[in-house]
Amino acid sequence: MRGAKSAKWVAIAAVVALGATACGGGGDSGSSAKGDGTVAVEIGEPQNSLVPTNTYETEGGQVINALFTGLTKLDASNKVVNAMAQSIDSTDNKVWTIKLKPGYTFHNGEKVTAQSFIDAWNYGANQTNAQQTNPLFSHIQGYSDLNPGEGKKPTTDKLSGLKAVGEDTLQVTLTGAFSAFPSQLSFTAFVPLPKAFFKDPKGFGEAPIGNGPFEMKGKFKHNESISTTKYDKYPDASKIEVKGVNFKIYSNLDTAYKDLVAGNLDSLLTIPTSGLPTYKKDLPNRTIDEPDSAVGYIGFPVKYNKAFQNADLRKAVSMSIDRKTISEKIFLGARTPADDYISPIIDGYRKGACGEACTLNPAKAKELYKKSGGLPGNTLEIGYNADGGHKDWVEAVANQIQQNLGVKVTAKPFEQFQTILNDLDAKKYSGAFRMAWSMDYPDAEDYLRPVFSKDAIANGSNYSGYVNEDFEKLLVQGDQAPTHEEAVKLYQQADDVLLKDLPYIPVYFYTMNAGFSDKIKSMKVAGHQILWDTVKLS
Amino acid sequence: MSEKTIERPTTDEAALAKEIEADEKAAARQASLLKDGWADLRKRPMFIVSGLVILLLLALAVVPGLFTARSPFSDGFCQLQNSMTPPTSGHLFGYDVQGCDIYTRTVYGARNSIIVGVVTTIATTLIGGLVGMLAGLIGGWIDAVLSRVTEVFSALPLLVGGLLIMSIWGGGDVWSVSLIMAVLGWPQVFRIMRGEVISNKYNDYVAAARALGAGPGRIAFRHILPNTLAPVIVITTMNLGVYIAAEAALSYLGIGIQYPNISWGLMISDAQDRFLTSPHALLFPAGALSITVLAFIMLGDVVRDAFDPKMR
Repeated sequence: MRGAKSAKWVAIAAVVALGATACGGGGDSGSSAKGDGTVAVEIGEPQNSLVPTNTYETEGGQVINALFTGLTKLDASNKVVNAMAQSIDSTDNKVWTIKLKPGYTFHNGEKVTAQSFIDAWNYGANQTNAQQTNPLFSHIQGYSDLNPGEGKKPTTDKLSGLKAVGEDTLQVTLTGAFSAFPSQLSFTAFVPLPKAFFKDPKGFGEAPIGNGPFEMKGKFKHNESISTTKYDKYPDASKIEVKGVNFKIYSNLDTAYKDLVAGNLDSLLTIPTSGLPTYKKDLPNRTIDEPDSAVGYIGFPVKYNKAFQNADLRKAVSMSIDRKTISEKIFLGARTPADDYISPIIDGYRKGACGEACTLNPAKAKELYKKSGGLPGNTLEIGYNADGGHKDWVEAVANQIQQNLGVKVTAKPFEQFQTILNDLDAKKYSGAFRMAWSMDYPDAEDYLRPVFSKDAIANGSNYSGYVNEDFEKLLVQGDQAPTHEEAVKLYQQADDVLLKDLPYIPVYFYTMNAGFSDKIKSMKVAGHQILWDTVKLS
Repeated sequence: MSEKTIERPTTDEAALAKEIEADEKAAARQASLLKDGWADLRKRPMFIVSGLVILLLLALAVVPGLFTARSPFSDGFCQLQNSMTPPTSGHLFGYDVQGCDIYTRTVYGARNSIIVGVVTTIATTLIGGLVGMLAGLIGGWIDAVLSRVTEVFSALPLLVGGLLIMSIWGGGDVWSVSLIMAVLGWPQVFRIMRGEVISNKYNDYVAAARALGAGPGRIAFRHILPNTLAPVIVITTMNLGVYIAAEAALSYLGIGIQYPNISWGLMISDAQDRFLTSPHALLFPAGALSITVLAFIMLGDVVRDAFDPKMR
């Protein structure tokens, strides 16, 4: 999932009217009155209305996660465990048999069956519905029939790989072996949908009916709040202490932070930079600091710009960046220096895998730069989106490259992340760019294929245009590996290919710096989602 | 009888000579309204204070090297290890987020502020003044068309228009920022000029000049222009400060001057996130900006007092 928080260009207008931004959700604090068991949680305005298959960002994702329960989920240590699935079995990683736990109903009373999943996935995978998470369904057999390409109409509206065996068993056939499939199922796009959805998808998005621990209370109030109460017929309802969640929508994290400290908000998953120097003091014993799933890079459009095609050159740039000082001084410890393409929270991460290429060494960098033949005009441009708080670190990287390589480096702001991506697609921009990736599901594969594979150029996030056949082969071998351990080993070999080629330079790993109010005794977070069964009230 | 008749012309002559002399003096005084104002200005303490500050700022803008030994454009000027270090001896203003010396950047920032202020002021005065004079003199449908055009421009508030134009065209240096502010700022000068010209052009001295055979160019520049200049000068001086503040605002919002160029507005915006823990990074550029804007506005104030006949 890219662009964890894209505050949009509107943010600038918000600065103009500083006073008005506070109204986002700060006004009503009544719902979080102490003692009634409900909590108020910060989110940004979701990008779209609340349809699970159309939610590919963390803000709406948090709401979906509270309203729905999928087949698998993340536990507090970012491991995938069964949620609604009783068992998930496969002998060849290609045909999967999934048995459902009994007792789950939608909030309108409808029973959740295997068909509820099939209907939802058919909808998500169909190009006519233009759902954001469409590419995630590409592993399932029949995906290409539903996605014949722009301008063409799909010949069917069903994925041929999905079959219900009775009410409680789902059989999924993939296009090929894919060992990370159960892990992928933990993503919020794979939740079931009730029949009511298909009658009125638009209305559903404003007041979704899920099968999760919380049900909607009223409608989605845009730019204000989303209220939920606990669903008493949820099978695990007894394990959940929270009686209701009020998602308060903020357009400004600074405002949210002030509300948290003042006790008008109960949870904030991203402490803003302005709060980082003081948050441990402001929220004594009420902070969570853990590695997060996201990785930040500097990318090169290797396919479109010949100047970047030399691997020594990319390595030279990488070795002229002082990751440690950037993490400490710019991010005040909210990032750690990256030394792999795979995040530290993922099984498969190897400390120091990147080795010398990700370590500051100006002398060697200069040598490599000379050897590579250098950049045309001895200049380098690094693009970044101005709406996401990236200015400081990109400028710091620019300064360091300039000092250590003697290249004239400029940091070029774009209004939005999307603008850079569009300009790259249209080949209007051919400089380096900042990029980040946060996981869809906790598997090493999710850090490799969606960002660096050949297929991801057209249908994914490979903005460098990088293609390496060895890398592709190793990915396929990893998919076919019989056990998770063997799969991880093969994915790591694929990772090694990347680390040699450096199509993107890994710069830092995100850490999560969250805080909660004194109404909450403890809580756990995984994949930017609050794990509701771990929230204990004080 | 005869004596009297002889005497009268002499007294008349003397009186006449006196009258002529007085008239000439008055004429001389009227023609040099500017000189008169200048004499008045020199006596005002506010003028002296703001003048000195402006002289200092001009010196900063022209020869920043006199005030600091470092150059913000040299390699190694910013060292990230020094990020946000508070003021120390040798670095009186401390360091910013990127570990750059704030004092040096503040000194070099003066140049861009002054350039933007001066260039925008000159451009608005020239465009607004010329077009305003044309509209006022010619009148008729040309005046109507030009007036409507200026209304279109002045309907766009400076900041909103700036946001719009910058986001379409991009920019990032002093010239593009000046251009945009000039495009949005000239209607004000236009209106004043046009009004002055219209109120002056039916005056007797214009009719007299025309009767003596002066052409339209001569009437416009030799006769009407000097009489309309004072209000334009006043508004221009005051606007200098306003434009400098507007540049800082645009840069603060990320659509004015951009990195690696230096601007006080940009420095303020970069420092705001950490204001509570490291206020120095924001206070020094903000202070410089306040002093500069204040100096120009004070100057505008005294200039208005000196030149506006109604204020005397």
